[in-house]
Amino acid sequence: MDPYRSGSSSSCAGKAPDQIDGLLAAAGYRVRSSELRNVAQRLERLETVMVNAPSEISHLADEVVLHNPSDLASWVDSLLSELNQPVPVPDLSDLTYAQPLDPTVNTGAWMEHHAAEQHREIPQVLTAVEEDSCIQLVHVLMTCAGSVQRGEFSLARALIDEMQGLLTRVNNRCGIGKVAGYFIDALSRRLFSPQGSGLIGSAYENEILYHHFYEASPYLKFAHFTANQAILEAFDGHDCVHVIDFNLMQGLQWPALIQALALRPGGPPLLRLTGIGPPSSDGRDSLREIGLRLAELAHSVNVQFAFRGVAASRLEDVKPWMLQVGPKEAVAINFIMQLHRLLVSDPTRGSPIEAVLGWIRNLNPKVMTVVEQEANHNQPEFLDRFTEALHYYSTTFDSLETCSTQPDKALAEIYIQREICNIVCCEGLARVERHEPLAKWQSRLRGAGFKPLHLGSNAFKQASMLLTLFSAEGYCVEEDGGCLTLGWHSRPLIAASAWQAIPEPNPPLGLVDPYNNVV
Amino acid sequence: MVVPLNTWVLISNLKLAYTLLRRPDGTFNRHLAEFLERKVPPNANPVDGVFSFDVIMDRETNLLSRVYRMADTEGRPSVDELQKPLSSDIVPVIIFFHGGSFAHSSSNSAIYDTLCRRLVGICKAVVVSVNYRRAPENHYPCAYDDGWAALKWVNSRPWLKSQDSKAHIYLVGDSSGGNIVHNVALRAVESDIEVLGNILLNPMFGGQKRTESEKRLDGKYFVTIQDRDWYWRAFLPEGEDRDHPACNPFGPNGISLEGIKFPKSLVVVAGLDLAQDWQLAYFEGLKKYGKEVNLLYLERATIGFYLLPNNDHFYTVMDEISNFINS
Repeated sequence: MDPYRSGSSSSCAGKAPDQIDGLLAAAGYRVRSSELRNVAQRLERLETVMVNAPSEISHLADEVVLHNPSDLASWVDSLLSELNQPVPVPDLSDLTYAQPLDPTVNTGAWMEHHAAEQHREIPQVLTAVEEDSCIQLVHVLMTCAGSVQRGEFSLARALIDEMQGLLTRVNNRCGIGKVAGYFIDALSRRLFSPQGSGLIGSAYENEILYHHFYEASPYLKFAHFTANQAILEAFDGHDCVHVIDFNLMQGLQWPALIQALALRPGGPPLLRLTGIGPPSSDGRDSLREIGLRLAELAHSVNVQFAFRGVAASRLEDVKPWMLQVGPKEAVAINFIMQLHRLLVSDPTRGSPIEAVLGWIRNLNPKVMTVVEQEANHNQPEFLDRFTEALHYYSTTFDSLETCSTQPDKALAEIYIQREICNIVCCEGLARVERHEPLAKWQSRLRGAGFKPLHLGSNAFKQASMLLTLFSAEGYCVEEDGGCLTLGWHSRPLIAASAWQAIPEPNPPLGLVDPYNNVV
Repeated sequence: MVVPLNTWVLISNLKLAYTLLRRPDGTFNRHLAEFLERKVPPNANPVDGVFSFDVIMDRETNLLSRVYRMADTEGRPSVDELQKPLSSDIVPVIIFFHGGSFAHSSSNSAIYDTLCRRLVGICKAVVVSVNYRRAPENHYPCAYDDGWAALKWVNSRPWLKSQDSKAHIYLVGDSSGGNIVHNVALRAVESDIEVLGNILLNPMFGGQKRTESEKRLDGKYFVTIQDRDWYWRAFLPEGEDRDHPACNPFGPNGISLEGIKFPKSLVVVAGLDLAQDWQLAYFEGLKKYGKEVNLLYLERATIGFYLLPNNDHFYTVMDEISNFINS
């Protein structure tokens, strides 16, 4: 191993001009060798401009929205043009955060969380024995998963017994002990009750768990705020807008958007929201209830609002005609931790993701927001999935330790436990938590005819501020090639991106004309 | 042009970004700073024989560090192998403090991740890069406290001890990291923790008076006196001036190193760095107290020359560092 090589191409002299400069790439910047001189000149010009107006620069930095700093050439250009003509951009950061709609929910939770911070328990430091047992536990977990993969079930069961023993020597109220317990439990379920082994709750239970996960950690808030910022920007200048939410849940995302639209300079547009969700089995029409409450909120801030609920047990059952998209509407499609469910593939019918992305593209939405778990939980080999999930959820549980409000924390852990169980216990159609990393989603979406809309520094700032106000230290927001990720201690756990359909030569399909014919 | 084109582009871009972030009232646009900072995740899969993982050293301050090690085999080490005891007789452990004038960069900054990986290969060492608390949100002595916590942590890991049951610790840092190296070594002196050597690359020191090099090189090679003043104000305690010993260790308020067992030092000074007079004064100060110190003065080098391996100075310095550690 040559210690001086960085693994990519070295200096730019003598390389093909279209190649990216390898050394700058290692520093996180993409610049073509052929463009280096050009970029250097522009940097010099920027410096002159900035030297001549030093007092305005930092003021400008607060206002300007910057995108994708890795792409040096375009970043430098955007700075240059901003210094000539600053353009104000609408954003959500001035808003007071809306109350959640359900009056039975702890509406002061956001404010109280900050106060609760002061009384945070100091987590115990692991003793040497515990540290050792933790390492052993992880080792046995991996061995057990390996034997499950190879079909050595009696060995696997013996290992489960061993792990139950190890668990008693580890402090399972925090750290690896807790998450190991859930994984041992999941492996047990897979071994001892293979049919129906995932934890499946009613839609109502799921909503409760979701709500507490929302309160206990910043992940869902980050997802909603970042998506809303992209939607708000995409709706700029449009009078009729239509948001299609592929998992309405309790509609927690939408009050903030409604309020932002209400405050829009020039007045709010007419807002339609189509909320998709599973059919209720207990007689409640929860979609309609949420819709009514959102309508009340919209009414109170003078935003013309219409709601439609679409009940579907599977996302692929949703068809474009159900959404009744009008020809003049600006459409936003919203997928918060949902898109991966479409990766479930049926041997007879293939994967529904292509079909769904296909008709979405034909709707020509102004923006499609996608937030996904940043993990590789859809690998074909069980052991790979297991290993990845162990690391991912260890980090997630670690971050949840900072939440001190109950029952938020306990129920949030159960929410996560369900994901773990689905990944570890289920196969085939039942395994819906098919998380894939951002890079894979990016190439999949590009292949489906979408191009990225970069999330900029204003969305980043807003996300950071959200964290500072409502969460413990340790969470971090990062910018990654136009997307934003939220993570715990430098491990990204959630990735948010925004997309636009690349226009096709044929006119868009799936619209409904005034006679209710599909065009 | 004194530097290769891609180095110029890198450092100019950084300098430009940093100008956007410093506000005249002394506050810092941290959100934008984090947005602009190019970061990389740790990678437990070896790349060029080096793998990395993050550890939390202190939960109360959320002190994170990134550990870099040489891989024994091709494949990804499993979780229990990350903290496997060192295999050869003596393996140096470098505690690395990144630069950024106390305000910028992190242990997961791309430029520093790359540098640390190189140090592993060149020195055949384990590198622990400390994510210390930064100014202006955290003034003196937070960065030193974090450095000291890191030193204690490294010294107490069984898996970082060499075959002689001791940790062979070196402190290495650039810019503000170099300043932290000196101050952490000072704290170690009163404890039973042994630091085998200090390496300071373009260390950040200063003082109230304006030196000749500052006046001569002001604004000429990426750095201005004005920005240096801003960063000192951001780091030093309120109301203190640049003759505070954190900034000027051998100045009017400096402490004596008489009779103190201080580690041997390597000080690297770039001839086009406006702070060189202060760095040379540091070197002279150590010599005056009879401490073992080597100076490597690179006449035509600018700040940041060690970030990209595309110039002679880079190779010269890496050789010196390797010899210093392995001698």
